[in-house]
Amino acid sequence: MKSFSGGMKQRVQLAKALANRPPIVLLDEPTTGLDASVAAGVLDLIRGLLEEFGLAAVVVSHDFSVIEMLTNRCIVMNHGRVVESALTDQLLEDPHHPYSQKLVSAARA
Amino acid sequence: MSHSTNAFDQVVLDVRNLRKQFVLHTIDSRIVEALNGVSLKVSAGEHVALAGTSGAGKSSLLKSIYRTYKPTSGEVFLKLDDDSFVDLISLTDSELATLRGTQIGYVSQFLRAQPRRSTFEIVTKAGIQRGMDSDTAKQAAAYSLQRLNLDEALWDVSASMLSGGEKQRVNLAAGTISPPRLLLLDEPVSALDPVNRESALELIGTLTDQGVAVLAVFHDIDAMERLASRVIVLRNGVVDYEGSPKETLERLEGVAR
Repeated sequence: MKSFSGGMKQRVQLAKALANRPPIVLLDEPTTGLDASVAAGVLDLIRGLLEEFGLAAVVVSHDFSVIEMLTNRCIVMNHGRVVESALTDQLLEDPHHPYSQKLVSAARA
Repeated sequence: MSHSTNAFDQVVLDVRNLRKQFVLHTIDSRIVEALNGVSLKVSAGEHVALAGTSGAGKSSLLKSIYRTYKPTSGEVFLKLDDDSFVDLISLTDSELATLRGTQIGYVSQFLRAQPRRSTFEIVTKAGIQRGMDSDTAKQAAAYSLQRLNLDEALWDVSASMLSGGEKQRVNLAAGTISPPRLLLLDEPVSALDPVNRESALELIGTLTDQGVAVLAVFHDIDAMERLASRVIVLRNGVVDYEGSPKETLERLEGVAR
């Protein structure tokens, strides 16, 4: 596996995580470090798997386009605490907590 | 086609004293008031148009009902299949997400769709989400895209590659396939040429015959005149006045001239 590319490694990881058909999958920065075209392929694969198997997923990401594509709901954490939870579109258009507002305005700039 | 208001006794949407203010923490916690206590009702098969100048609160009202904006206070009751009412404001995020897929539709000016997905797939998926089986959804998607004159050569193309007017038609097709109980429209024909605008308005007109409750924002008075059974004029985040398209639009046009 040493010679595998980043995108290939991510696919192997996904196959491993889904092998025993879990009801939920935890995705920690699933596309970080991949080049944009490879990241798109991995994201499309994840989206397809979630739909096909009706999987629940918790996604950790810094990338709002990933969050928008994969999630219905969002939880914003700061200093080890949940500061806001909302529907994803609501968080992006109407964030309430000062930290969420800073985060969204930074990402949208 | 115009209806008389009292023909609609099946209230589907009942908005009571809805307020929305934004607290902008990044700008010295400035408070912006968008809605200052809006109350209105929309019945099954009724098309209600929202009018008023820019900044009057039309889009904010639609977004607050759909909960893209989280209202500050007030109630938004929606009638469900079993004739009971739920207050959308007090639902959990998960409960609301479920209702959005099946009961409430929102079509904005801009297409919001999953990236790298074909036009036909976007519309079909919308139908499946509303409970159609895959074959029915495909048929309905084809019918609706044909109806909106979207060239078949574009059906398997990723929607991000389409023009503004084409995107808007995809958006409308997805929003009106297996129409939900309540449909919120925010300038859904703003980017369309006259011919395509005509087909789009016709399609929107058929929704009320199917019993859909429609709450819509259109820029042009002509569209409101044709489609609306009632017009509600907003000003500074409250209902200024309402009535039949004829009386309200005359008053609006009087102001515009």
